[in-house]
Amino acid sequence: MRLKKISLASFRNLQKVELEPGARFNILYGNNGQGKTNLIEAIYLLGTLKSFRLAKNSELMTWGTPFALVKGMVEHEGVDREIALVVEREGKRVRVDQKTIARPADFFGSLNVVVFSPDEMAMAKGGPDVRRRYLDRAVFSGDAAYLGFFHDYSRVLKNRNALLKKDDNDGLDVWSEKLAEAGTRLIARRIGFLREIEGLLREFYRSISGNGEDVGIAYRPHLLDRERLPAEGTTLLLEGLARTAAEERRTGATAVGPHRDDVEFILNGRALKQYASQGQQRSFILALKMAEIEYLRRKFDSPPILLLDDMTSELDRERNRNLMEFLKQKEIQVFITTTSLQNLRLDGIDNHRTFLVSDGEVSQQR
Amino acid sequence: MVHNSRSLTKLVGELKKLPGVGEKTALRLAFHLMKSPANVSALAESLLEVRARVRFCSTCFGITENDPCSICTGDRDSSAICVVEESQDLLAIERSGAFHGRYHVLQGALSPLNGVTPAQLRISELMRRIEAGGVREVVLATNFSVEGEATALYLTKLLKPLGIRVTRLAHGIPLGGDLEYIDAATVQRAMEGRSEL
Repeated sequence: MRLKKISLASFRNLQKVELEPGARFNILYGNNGQGKTNLIEAIYLLGTLKSFRLAKNSELMTWGTPFALVKGMVEHEGVDREIALVVEREGKRVRVDQKTIARPADFFGSLNVVVFSPDEMAMAKGGPDVRRRYLDRAVFSGDAAYLGFFHDYSRVLKNRNALLKKDDNDGLDVWSEKLAEAGTRLIARRIGFLREIEGLLREFYRSISGNGEDVGIAYRPHLLDRERLPAEGTTLLLEGLARTAAEERRTGATAVGPHRDDVEFILNGRALKQYASQGQQRSFILALKMAEIEYLRRKFDSPPILLLDDMTSELDRERNRNLMEFLKQKEIQVFITTTSLQNLRLDGIDNHRTFLVSDGEVSQQR
Repeated sequence: MVHNSRSLTKLVGELKKLPGVGEKTALRLAFHLMKSPANVSALAESLLEVRARVRFCSTCFGITENDPCSICTGDRDSSAICVVEESQDLLAIERSGAFHGRYHVLQGALSPLNGVTPAQLRISELMRRIEAGGVREVVLATNFSVEGEATALYLTKLLKPLGIRVTRLAHGIPLGGDLEYIDAATVQRAMEGRSEL
C-alpha cells in the first residue's frame, strides 16, 4: 500500500496542504508546533477514521471553520483509489472514488496504517488501559468484524452497569449472560491475535537484541484463569461475575470482563515491566510494532504505511538502524517526523523525500 | 424561524419532532401543506381520528380500534404467541403471512441504560395470558439488537420452567443476500449459528 498524494484543507493548523510523498521514506521536519504531527494524524485518520490522539471532531478543524477535509490517493495492487474524508462537528463522511461509504466496515482495509510514537514506547510501563487500547486497535486492523463485536460488548456493559446502580436488579442474570457471551467473543479474538503475532515478535526481538533473550506476549485476564481461555470463556466470566457480586453491588460497576483485562509483555519468562532495562523495553516495543506490520502485510498481501512520530529521541543508533533495515527490506512507505535532520540516522537510505513543515505550510526540499 | 409567520414557525417546529424529519424536510412539508388546503383538513381530521379511535388492545397490546383486537378475538391458533417489541414488528410479521397464532407486544425492550426494566414492559400481562392456559409455544421475535437479545433471554428464563416450547426467530444471512455484500460481523455470527443439514 502506498499513499501517492495527500491534500488537506482547514485541518488543525494546516490550512491548505498538498504533497506527493515518495514510495519509501518521507521525512517531515520542522520545529515543534509547526504541524508535523497534525499531518501524520491526518494520514492516520484517512486510514482508520479515528485520531490516534483521541481528538474530537471539532478539534480537527481549523479554529472557526465548519469542516476539515483530508483527501488521499492510495495505490494498492496497482489500482489507484481516492479516499476523501470530510470531518464535521456532527460526524465524519468518507467517499472512496466518489462513492459514499455508509458503514465503517465497508471502508475496512482501504488504507492500512500503523503509528509508532513515544506514547507507544510508554506502553511497557503504562497502565492496562493503554495496552488494551493498543490491542483493540491492532485486532480491528486485521479483522473487520471486531469493531461491531466491540460495540456490542460496550453496550451490554453500559446496560449492566446501569442496572447495578439501581435498587431493583431484576434481569441482572440476563445481562451477566449477555456480557459473558459478548465478552468471550472479544477475548477469543484478542487471544487469537496475540498468538498470531507472538512468533513474529520473538523473531524480530532476536534480530534486534542479537542475543539469546526470549520474549513472549500473553493475554492476562482480570481475575480469571487464563489457561482455560478462550475455550471456557462464557463459563469463566459467569463464575467471575458471581464471585465479585458483592464488590459490584458496592461499586456499581462490572468487575470482570475484557474491559478490565491486560496484556503481559514477557522477557525471559518474567514481566517486562518489572524486570527489564529501559533498553530491553524499547527493543520489545520496537519488535512488537514490527510484528504488527508484518502481521498486516501477510493479512493484506501488502505492507501497511508506517507513521513514525517523533521517534528520533526514542531509538538509539543501533535500534534505529535495525528498524530502517526492516522497513527497507519490506518495502514499506514511511512518514517520519523530526525536529532535526542531523539526529535522523538515514544510514544507507538513498531513496527519500524531505518536506519542511513550517507554520502550517508544507514544502518539498530538493 | 420562518420570517414573518409565528404559526408557520410553530408548524415547522412540530413537524421537526417527527422521526426522520429535519429542518429542511419540515419546511418542505409545511410549504406543501400550505399550498393544498383540502389536504390540510383531511390530514388534520385523520390525525384527530386516529388519536380518538386507536388504542392498545387490552390482551396483546398491539394497536387496534376495537378492544380486544381482531387477531385476539379471531379464529387464529391460540396455542402459539409471538412476542414482539412494537406494533410495527407485529405488522411486519403479519405482512409475511408466516405466522398464524396470536401476538403479544411488549411495547419496548429491556434497557437499563434508558431506564427500561422488566416492570416497564408488558411482561406480567404476557405471563397472565400463559397462566390462563392453552399456550404451547412462545415465539420470541424481539429485535436482534443488544437490548432485544437480552429481552429474549429474560423471557426464556421466565417461560422455560413453565414447560412451554420457547423458540427464537433465526438470524444470519438475509434471503437472496449475496455473501460478498454481507458485513463481516454478520457472516461471523451466521457461521457460529450454522445448522446441520
